[in-house]
Formats: sequence, C-alpha cells, structure tokens
Amino acid sequence: MLAFATDLFIQRSFDGLAKGSIYALLALALVVVFRGSGQLNFAQGEMALVCAYFAQTLTLTGFPVALAIGSAAVLGFAMGAGAERFLIRPVEKKSPIAVVVVAVGLFLGLNNLIAVIWGVDARRMPSVFPNKAEDFVRIGGAAVRIERLGIIAVMLLLVAMLWVLFNRTRIGLAMRAVANNQPSSQLVGIRVGWVLAIGWGLAGAIGAVGARMLAPQASLSGAMMFGPFIFAAAAATVGGLDSPVGAVVAGLALGLIDAYIVGYFTWIGGDLVLPVTFGIILLVLVLKPSGLFGSTRVERV
Amino acid sequence: MATFPISIQRGSSQHRAFQIIGFALVGALLLRAGLTWNNAGLGKLTDVFIIAIAVTGLNLLVGFTGQISIGHSAFFGIGAYTTAILVKTYGWTPGWTLIPAVVVCFIVGVIVGVPALRLKGLYLALVTLALGVAFPNLLNRYDGLTGGPLGIKSLRYLPPDWTPFEGRKDTAKWMFWLSLALLIVVAIVASNLLRSRMGRAMVAVRDNETAAAVMGVNRALVKTVVFGISAAMAGLAGSLFALKLTLVDPMLFTLVLSIEFLVAMVIGGIASTWGPFVGAFVFVYLRDNAKSFGEARNIDGIGGVAFGALLIVLMFAASGGLVGLARQMKAKVVRVLPKVPILSAPASDTVESAEPGTGSSEPQP
Repeated sequence: MLAFATDLFIQRSFDGLAKGSIYALLALALVVVFRGSGQLNFAQGEMALVCAYFAQTLTLTGFPVALAIGSAAVLGFAMGAGAERFLIRPVEKKSPIAVVVVAVGLFLGLNNLIAVIWGVDARRMPSVFPNKAEDFVRIGGAAVRIERLGIIAVMLLLVAMLWVLFNRTRIGLAMRAVANNQPSSQLVGIRVGWVLAIGWGLAGAIGAVGARMLAPQASLSGAMMFGPFIFAAAAATVGGLDSPVGAVVAGLALGLIDAYIVGYFTWIGGDLVLPVTFGIILLVLVLKPSGLFGSTRVERV
Repeated sequence: MATFPISIQRGSSQHRAFQIIGFALVGALLLRAGLTWNNAGLGKLTDVFIIAIAVTGLNLLVGFTGQISIGHSAFFGIGAYTTAILVKTYGWTPGWTLIPAVVVCFIVGVIVGVPALRLKGLYLALVTLALGVAFPNLLNRYDGLTGGPLGIKSLRYLPPDWTPFEGRKDTAKWMFWLSLALLIVVAIVASNLLRSRMGRAMVAVRDNETAAAVMGVNRALVKTVVFGISAAMAGLAGSLFALKLTLVDPMLFTLVLSIEFLVAMVIGGIASTWGPFVGAFVFVYLRDNAKSFGEARNIDGIGGVAFGALLIVLMFAASGGLVGLARQMKAKVVRVLPKVPILSAPASDTVESAEPGTGSSEPQP
C-alpha cells in the first residue's frame, strides 16, 4: 500500500458508519424483541420492508416525507404488536420451536404479499436527504455525502429516544422489568402481555424507519432486506442478544469492517467479503460466547 | 375389548403385529407408487426421500442433541459439489461418489462442531448461519473448482447394468429406488444410533448438559461426532440431489434451503423417528401445490402467501408436528406400555408390579 490517504479513509469510514447505522437499527429492533420475549423475530426484515413499500406509496400519492415516515412507523408498530398478540403468543406456550416456524411462515407470507400488492419489479425510492451529486460536506479533506450523515443522525436520534424511553418513562421501566424477570413483574402488577406487544410494536417501528432509510440506496425490492437482516442478526448476536448498546456498537462495527474490507483489502475480492466478515464474527463468539456486551446467565443446576 | 384405549405391551406379539402391519402398509404404498407412477410423480417422491434423508440428519442434531443448525444447506451443497466435481472433472462413476461425499461432509461437520462446544442456542445458530450464508459466495469465488455461478451441468446417473432398468428413460425410476433404499439405510442407522450408548448420551446432553457431564458423558465427543453424522447425512442427500437434478449451481444451496429443512423437520415432528419422512412428504407437496395454485391464478407471490399462511395454521393446529398429532390421536385408541425390565425378582412379580397406566411409552411433548 502506498501513502495512507486520510481523506479516503474518512470517506470510507462514513460510508461504513452509514451502512452500519442501518444494521444497528435493525439489530436494535431484534434486541428489543429478544429482551422481552426471548425470541428472534425472523420476519423483522420483511415487516420493515412492507412498511417501506407503504411509505413509498404514500410519498407517490403526495404525502410529505415526514408524514409518510411517521405513518410507516405506525404501520410497523401495528404489525409488530399484532404479530405478537395474534400469531406468536398463542403458539409460544405450546413449543418454542413452533414460534420459529410461525415467524418463518410470516416471513414467507409477507415477502410474497409484497409481490402480490406491489409487483415483483424493483422500485426507486426518493431519498429523505439532499441526494444530488453536489450534496456533500467536506470533513478533513474528504467529501462526505449528506445522505450518509443524515442516516447516521437518524440512527443516533432513535437510539437517544429509545434510551429516554427505557430509562426515563414508566413503560420503559416496565419493559426492563419484564426483560429481567417475567414472573416477578407480573406479581408487581405489570401487564406483561401489553409490555410484550409494545416491545414487538416498537421493534416494528424501528425496523420501518431503518428500511425507509435503506431503500433509496438499495432499490426497493422483495430481496432488499435479506442481506441487511442477516447482518443485523449477526450484529445483535455479536453485541449480546440482550444488550441494546451491543447491538448499536456491533452494527456500526460490521458496517465499518465491510467498508474497510471492500476498500483496503481488494485482494480478498467481492465474493469473500461476507465469508471474511462472518469469520471475524465467529472468532468474536468463540472468545466471548455470549457476545461482547451480553449478560452471561448463570444457570442453577 | 371395547374399552378404549386398548393397552398392549411393548415387544409383545400384538405390538409386533401392529408394527409389521404398519410397515407393510407403507411398504405396499411405496411399492405401488414405484411400479405404477409416471416419471413426474416418481420425481416428486424422490425429492421427498432426498429431503427426508437430510432432515433425518438435522433431526439427530437439533431434535435429539439440542444443537441448532441453520447451516445444513452448506453440508447438502458440499455433498452435491463433491459428487459433481468427481463426476465431471475426474470422471468417476456417479454411484461411487456418494462415499467421498459422505466422508467429506462428516469431516467438515466435525470441524464446524468444534465452536459448538462453547456456544449455545441462538449464538450457535449464528455460527451455522454464517456457514450457510458464506457457502454460495465461496462457490462463486473458487470458480476454477466449482464452475462459479454457472455451476456444473449434465451429471446424469444412468441405471447400472445389474439393475432391471434400461437407459435414459428409466433414470427417474432408478433414482427413485436408489433414494428410497438409501433413505431406509439412513433411517435404520439413525434409529440404531439413538438406541445405542451414543444416542442416550445425545439425549442426556440435550436435556441437561451439566448432569450429562457429571454422569461421565464426553460432551465434546458427542457434540462433534453428532455434528459430523448429521452433516454426512445432509451430504448424502445433497449428492443424490445433484444426480437427480443432473446439475448444481450456487443458488440451489442458499440459506433458504436450510430453513426449508428446519420447516420440514418441525412439520413432521421434532425428535421423532417418523417425523423427517412425514415432514418431508407434507412439505414437498404443500410447497409444490402452493406454487401451482399461484401459477394457476397468475398472480406473482400468491402461492408463497398461501404457503406461509399454511405453515402458520399448521403450527397453530399441531405445534408438536404431525407425528405428535398422530400420537395424541393414537393414544386415544391404543396405549403401548413400556417393556417390562427383567429384574432379579421372580418373573410373576415383575409383571404384577408393572401397573398398567403408569407409563405410556410415548413421551408427552
């Protein structure tokens, strides 16, 4: 390698952080669900995708951007809460593996429902932020696109809102209590059913925003969420499934690793980016079996 | 004997008779299908057998040892590619390639099983997921060996001379009987394994790892070997799959396939011996019928929506899988009592002390 180009490094870092922000948002959604009910929602990505399509339809019919995103988030909330209440909860008592299959069924159903409602052709989605060729700011000599900064800002805003929700509100306290100890929370009068449904709904809303941010870069199509969902699941796991901080850190880290491998280790080649990324994940997990920030549960025998 | 449920003793002549009638019935149906069905119908049943082989392997790992894998599409693919490369590049007779495919998958499975020694539940699922996700990319990267995105084509397995089948037109029949025979072998291996020392160790590890270790079960050995056996079965299925389809390419072995195996396993009934076969059968027919349902209506995606909805309905109706449902219904008619253990006490005493009704041998989910 020749002289280290700082501007290029900064540019790649922001590319990576923007990509990582999407992973972080989806990973957060997965973690919020996991903390409540101990499930990994396989349909999270597809729920978010439905919301992104919905937002696009609204935008096409002339809704202002903010309102369209808001409505998509509300739809995401309704879908998440509804799925928990009517699909997951009834089978949860019967068998944990059945929950996985229900989620897979939901995944397949939603993915194909998109084809039924919106067709199979990929669609373009206008960006929320200024996105023309000249829309960039100079940071340390590097040209950073405003869209990248915007995505990172949205992610930070949502994380801050979630922090306030978890730490400064009654419902957030209830959610933490349920995550910590379900039977005890029930005994002190928390309506666990409601809390779980709200958790799933919240995850749905976060996912909806994430998918809306992603859609302008990857064109809107049925396969749009596959890759990001896998990376988000990886981020959630590596971060520690019950740790929101871990989800964000690991999501951003995955985005950065991805950007640096593509940028600096060109000899690895495009096809190996994914295997190498997962190799790193595997290494982390073997060294820290419950993720970077996950709590190790001590089981009584 | 009008009072239901009727009680019969496991291992008694009555119980044997029921078992023999059951096997004979299934055997007769398969024989009839094999002799009279056309090639399309046989092809579909061959798919069922191939998936059933892979799911039997997956069931040993997930159902009986409690280790989750979302990476079985990769083992399936490694088997398929081993066969394809040996046939195409090295000119092997297709039948002989099944052996190296099984061996290679066993070795890879043991290696993948090593991280499983430290990881549990969803964390382990992620490692196997990594394998499933990375596999198609690796195939594309090393295209000198694998043919890259185009894959490897024209791998037909013509019936050998010693079989009653002749030439190209009978290939479907040959693949049908070959797959069925191998499924039976795999099922016997699996059920014998489960009744061995190893099988009991597997269940012990699944139910309580610490207790198993205390009892002297070598957890590391059990987990890695079961990973290997499970992978080997998936590899055998993949090998057959390549020969049946006559081609391989990276898009056939994506994560979707792993999820299909898991779904088929759960539909049939997790940790049951008949589950993989029933699950594979129902899965293949549901999937194909949902597809043709969609094609008949000419709306993109409607078949997939129907299939997804059916999966959810099935889990609502029978969360223990179809075999679990069948067991519940059977328990209302026939109750199989566990075999009386031979103790040192006089035989008459043991029979009396085995109170009827204390133990239905069928485990309750």
